[in-house]
Amino acid sequence: MVLPILEFFKRILSDFDTAHRESAAALTGVEVKELENIFALLLLGSFIGLPAPPSFLAVELLPFMERELKVLNSRARDAGDMLAEMVGTIGIG
Amino acid sequence: MTTVIIVIGLLIYLILYFTYGKKIERDVVVASDDTEAPSKRLYDGVDYISARKEVLFGHHFASIAGAAPIIGPAMAICWGWVPGLLWVWFGNIFIGAVHDYLALMASVRYDGKSIQFVATDLIGKRTGTAFYWIVFFLLILVVAAFSAIVGGMFVRTPAIAAAYAWKIAAALILGVLLYRVKMNFVVATIIGIVMLCAAIWLGTVKGIPLSYTTWMWVFFFYIVIAAAIPVNVLLQPRDYLNSWLLYSGLLIGFIAAIFAFRGFEVPAFSSFSPVLLGGKPTPFWPAIPLIIACGSLSGFHSLVASGTTSKQLAKESDGLPIGYGAMFTEGFLSTIVIVSIAGFGYTALRNAGVTAETLNAGNWGAMFTKAAGSVKLAGPSLFVQSYADMVGSTWLGFIPTKIVKVLAGMWVASFATTTLDTTNRLARYCVSEMAAPLKDSATGLYKALTNRWVASVIPAAIGIWLAASGNWLIIWASFGAANQLIAAIALMTGAAFAAKKLKSSFANVAVIPAWILWITVTCGTAWFIIVVQPGAIAAKPGPGWTVMVLLCVMLVLNFVFIWDFMKSKAYKVE
Repeated sequence: MVLPILEFFKRILSDFDTAHRESAAALTGVEVKELENIFALLLLGSFIGLPAPPSFLAVELLPFMERELKVLNSRARDAGDMLAEMVGTIGIG
Repeated sequence: MTTVIIVIGLLIYLILYFTYGKKIERDVVVASDDTEAPSKRLYDGVDYISARKEVLFGHHFASIAGAAPIIGPAMAICWGWVPGLLWVWFGNIFIGAVHDYLALMASVRYDGKSIQFVATDLIGKRTGTAFYWIVFFLLILVVAAFSAIVGGMFVRTPAIAAAYAWKIAAALILGVLLYRVKMNFVVATIIGIVMLCAAIWLGTVKGIPLSYTTWMWVFFFYIVIAAAIPVNVLLQPRDYLNSWLLYSGLLIGFIAAIFAFRGFEVPAFSSFSPVLLGGKPTPFWPAIPLIIACGSLSGFHSLVASGTTSKQLAKESDGLPIGYGAMFTEGFLSTIVIVSIAGFGYTALRNAGVTAETLNAGNWGAMFTKAAGSVKLAGPSLFVQSYADMVGSTWLGFIPTKIVKVLAGMWVASFATTTLDTTNRLARYCVSEMAAPLKDSATGLYKALTNRWVASVIPAAIGIWLAASGNWLIIWASFGAANQLIAAIALMTGAAFAAKKLKSSFANVAVIPAWILWITVTCGTAWFIIVVQPGAIAAKPGPGWTVMVLLCVMLVLNFVFIWDFMKSKAYKVE
């Protein structure tokens, strides 16, 4: 009789703990998401033409910036290899 | 004779393009339009974007063509007209055009990466670093050589200086019309060309007579300021006007050479070792690549080809007309230069005051450089006069010789001066890249070196200081050495690409010329250091030692490179 009651309370405590943990983790998750949004916004906010838009709006609009992201990606790839491109662009003759 | 050589040159280029060039395309590079070029595969609408073959050819040619294919052949006339012409043709067809084409195609197969990146990947990291240093030294020497040449030309013909100053004003106005007023492009172009013609005419009305030293100061401030201002203010409209000068100069020269029907005054061959560099007997081999650079082959071209051209190539089959064909066009420009001087150079020298006793076919090798220098008609100035006389001798003679002379002078001066500020922009970038290792260890020094103005002033100050020494022949040859060392590294990289990546059974088409070039340039540079430099140091210790140090460091880097090349077994045709 006593054992099932203890088991019951143990489960309640465990659930309580899990709920709290999940709640805390969810909050942290939101915070991480928001930080990611802000990070993307810091880097890419100007791409959508708004200096400081709400982050959810910026993230919603980001897929439309696919081309700009591709350009950025290609620029990042070539960033350490710019000498030839400069010579080609401004010429030498 | 002028007509015959131009026609033979044209035929050689056409035949070799469709035979040798096509063979390289088919059997070495195995160009295939089934493989998507980076411009399509990595399309981003900005850097990677397909361009029409003709447009890309124009862009590529304007980027590689400058004053060097004019100046080098004009100096090489001391060997007589045949050796210089043969080096232009031989070098062009078997080395220079192969070098440009392989650099372009290697870059295409490497997703548009630079030849420097390809060299790092195929040969080793040190090669990539050596590339930066040699390019940086080369840029300093370019500033020095071209300042000295333009300075000398401006002193001799103040009309060219005035015309150039008017052209700068025209370029600034064109910039305002295009970017501020947003005028229709065709209308602005017509206004630009009219202003260009007016600049040439105004130059003939009143020249700017300044001393050589004053011009050096003017150049110093010009290149530091021009390198720092936005490109659309001066650089872009000026380059646009320059391209009109280039094509009109080429067209007029081609027509004049065809219709000149004139025998050659200059001997076909003077001697194997005429007096040229530092007053010393200068052997054709290995010194010729130090004299004729861009007309035959040039290391800078590998950077242009693998910088922007490779990212805009629409399909692999366009690579041959652009990479290989543009180099042929530049070689043809040098052919026109040689023909004009061979046909009209001696008369120009005689008219300037050189007597038949001082210079004749018998003593050409021993006396040419001295005699031309004594009447200030050396190198580009001799070309300017010969070109004007050649045009005047044909049905184009209705254009006043004075005007043609300023046009030709503007042609040389414009490209040389353009090179001054573009090289300074590039040198600024090199300084920043080379200073990167200091970022953590010496933050203060790093910040100072990468400061916009400091990075700009360093190469400009060293270059102008060298130019002020006045020994332009020595500086020109040093520039040639640096340029050709880069060409050797780039061609070795192209050969490694053909052998290692393409595994082509015809890779020796690239590997053999690469070895010939490397050996020639290395021997030429060593000869220059041992034979010519001691005299230059004795005459002017400061500039002499500076050039000596640059050359020695480059030579050491060159040996480090070949060591890595051998170690990587990149030369092995698999």
